[in-house]
Amino acid sequence: MEETKARETMIQVKDLYKIYKMGETKVHALDGVDFEIYRGEFCAITGPSGSGKSTLLNMLAGLEHPTKGEIIIAGKHIEKLNEKQLVTFRRERVGFIFQSYNLIATMNAVENVALPLSFRGIPKVERLKRAKQYLKLVGLEKFMKHLPNQMSGGQQQRVGIARALAVNPQIIFADEPTGNLDSKTTMEVLKLMQKIVKERNQTLVMVTHDNNLATYADRIFKIIDGKIVHIEENHKEVDLMALEQIYEAGGVIENQTATSDETVDPEEISEPEIMTEAEGGEEV
Amino acid sequence: MRFFDLLTMSVNNLRRRKLRTALTVLGVIIGTASIVVMVSLGIGLKEMTVEQYASYGSLNRIEVMSNYGWGSDSDEEGFLVDETMELFAQIPHVESVSPTLQTYVTLKQGAYTSGTSLIGVSRATLEEIELGQGTLPNPNSNTMELVVGNMVARNFYNSKTGRGYWDTGEMPDVDLYNDSFFMTFQNTGMSDGKQKKYVFPVSGMVAGSAEEYNEHSYGIYVDIDQLKDQLKRVYKKNPIPGQPTNKKGKPYNYFVYDYAYVYVDDMDNVLEVQNAITEMGYQAYSNMQWLEQAQEQTDMIQAVLGGIGAVSMFVAAISIANTMMMSIYERTKEIGVLKVLGCSLGSIRNMFLIEAGFIGFMGGTAGLALSYGISKIVNQFLGSALMGGQSGDISRIPPWLSGMAIVFAIVIGMLAGLFPAIRAMKLSPLAAIRNE
Repeated sequence: MEETKARETMIQVKDLYKIYKMGETKVHALDGVDFEIYRGEFCAITGPSGSGKSTLLNMLAGLEHPTKGEIIIAGKHIEKLNEKQLVTFRRERVGFIFQSYNLIATMNAVENVALPLSFRGIPKVERLKRAKQYLKLVGLEKFMKHLPNQMSGGQQQRVGIARALAVNPQIIFADEPTGNLDSKTTMEVLKLMQKIVKERNQTLVMVTHDNNLATYADRIFKIIDGKIVHIEENHKEVDLMALEQIYEAGGVIENQTATSDETVDPEEISEPEIMTEAEGGEEV
Repeated sequence: MRFFDLLTMSVNNLRRRKLRTALTVLGVIIGTASIVVMVSLGIGLKEMTVEQYASYGSLNRIEVMSNYGWGSDSDEEGFLVDETMELFAQIPHVESVSPTLQTYVTLKQGAYTSGTSLIGVSRATLEEIELGQGTLPNPNSNTMELVVGNMVARNFYNSKTGRGYWDTGEMPDVDLYNDSFFMTFQNTGMSDGKQKKYVFPVSGMVAGSAEEYNEHSYGIYVDIDQLKDQLKRVYKKNPIPGQPTNKKGKPYNYFVYDYAYVYVDDMDNVLEVQNAITEMGYQAYSNMQWLEQAQEQTDMIQAVLGGIGAVSMFVAAISIANTMMMSIYERTKEIGVLKVLGCSLGSIRNMFLIEAGFIGFMGGTAGLALSYGISKIVNQFLGSALMGGQSGDISRIPPWLSGMAIVFAIVIGMLAGLFPAIRAMKLSPLAAIRNE
């Protein structure tokens, strides 16, 4: 209880609605949502597809305007901001991790991580220095000069995480960040995200349809048909340990349907690593 | 975002699609080259026209005729006298005024004889004459020194046979520069006695062979002050032929000039000065007034040529817009990612504008290089044929045209890219989230 008192509210959502018009019918993607997220918290938003969880994330990140309601992030009403102000808001406060990584294909790992820094007008030397630092943090020091298509999915997502972290944002949004990864990599990536966010006291909001992955989070928001049906506090490290053991033993995750066809062959993952070793020798 | 970072991103995007970029640039190259070549032809045409008129006489010069002899022979008002010269000199933009006194003389060397004009001009006018041999007359000499026109010798005829160059086709056997010749002034009509023969030193010859015409070819030029002194010596108190007389038939005690040249500081001011002189009641002519008309024509030709060139540039602009549009559709997702990551709207717009401008820049530069090549070929093979044998380049690319061409290509590129760039700016960042 002591902890809750000391906590500072990062995101506050009040009575949030999003209604799409599909011809004559109105679809309530979000139907009156209220919650608060605190600084340094790792929250997961789960729900079946079409439940409105992605819509919620998009609105928190200022990518979509709500139909009704308030979103207050770090004391600022973002539902009232225009497109230009929203971009500035994202640039200064938000990091974003995508499901399909969305790295720029023509840029290598360092350049990709440095990209959001260039939007802030940081000089190139400084930018690249910071990018390298963050790539080391996610364990990709050997892949600095690799282009996205020379890396495995897990490595690409690590670049994506480094890119989100490089701007030192207050909040990081992740939209199905492990959706395209196999079970082993999923676990690594999630642990990495969890660890970094905890160390740096940043807020992480992750959307996933996989209840098991959500157990990595401090709190889990369950959303069905545009309404939050359940908020679950989750402080049981023991559960996590158990989950990891399940993954390591079988690698089969319950409820994982969408990602099963994306499962990467282990040989494919190891391939780029071999390439790096060869290239690494040249660079030194 | 820093400009250099924007530039790097834009150029890298262009490099990603080399073939398409190259094809679009090719369009701009053709557009730029067609405009530059067309305009260069227009400029060439215009400048050659000016050069042509300049060969008829200086373009800065106005010729003013006195008004006597046209029904007002006793009216002193129309006379061109020293006071009038001072009046002219006070008109704005007038640099100098040069009166001209002309008299008819007979020349004789051996068996050959000829009549010609003896023209007294100011020092400044003398200095304008291009000399082939010798020097200008010494202003301090107490005798009259002559500058002889290069075609004067051709007009001599044999006084025994009465046949000259025009009858026989042979050049008369006279050498006006090396051998001396006699000069006889006209009779006054009052004294019947024969005029004395004089021999004057020839100080110089007008440049050119006997066939090469220029405005000084047919006359003998002398310093006007020396001519005045000489005429006073020849005619004493008698009226000088060609000079007006008063009602009693007596000469005036001053010289009345036949015509005067007024020199203007700049070609563009000639017509203004000419109008001022006409308003003062004198007849004035200048090459400029003819050139003005000719220039109106060449301006029109230039506009038509430029218009033809502009059509292909317009087509090139459309192709830039098309390329940029395609590129934006392809990169919808990428643009969305940039927006989600916080790339400002202005930066996205500028990125595409720079991309389009860079296509223009590359096309403009290469197009200019191509223009120089085409221009050289045109000058080599078409130049003199187009302008009726007049020498000189028909296609001329002045430095300002080169600069303008590149700037224009960049501006056209950016204008063509403006609509696609704004479109890119307005794309939804949600495109980045969608997973295809």
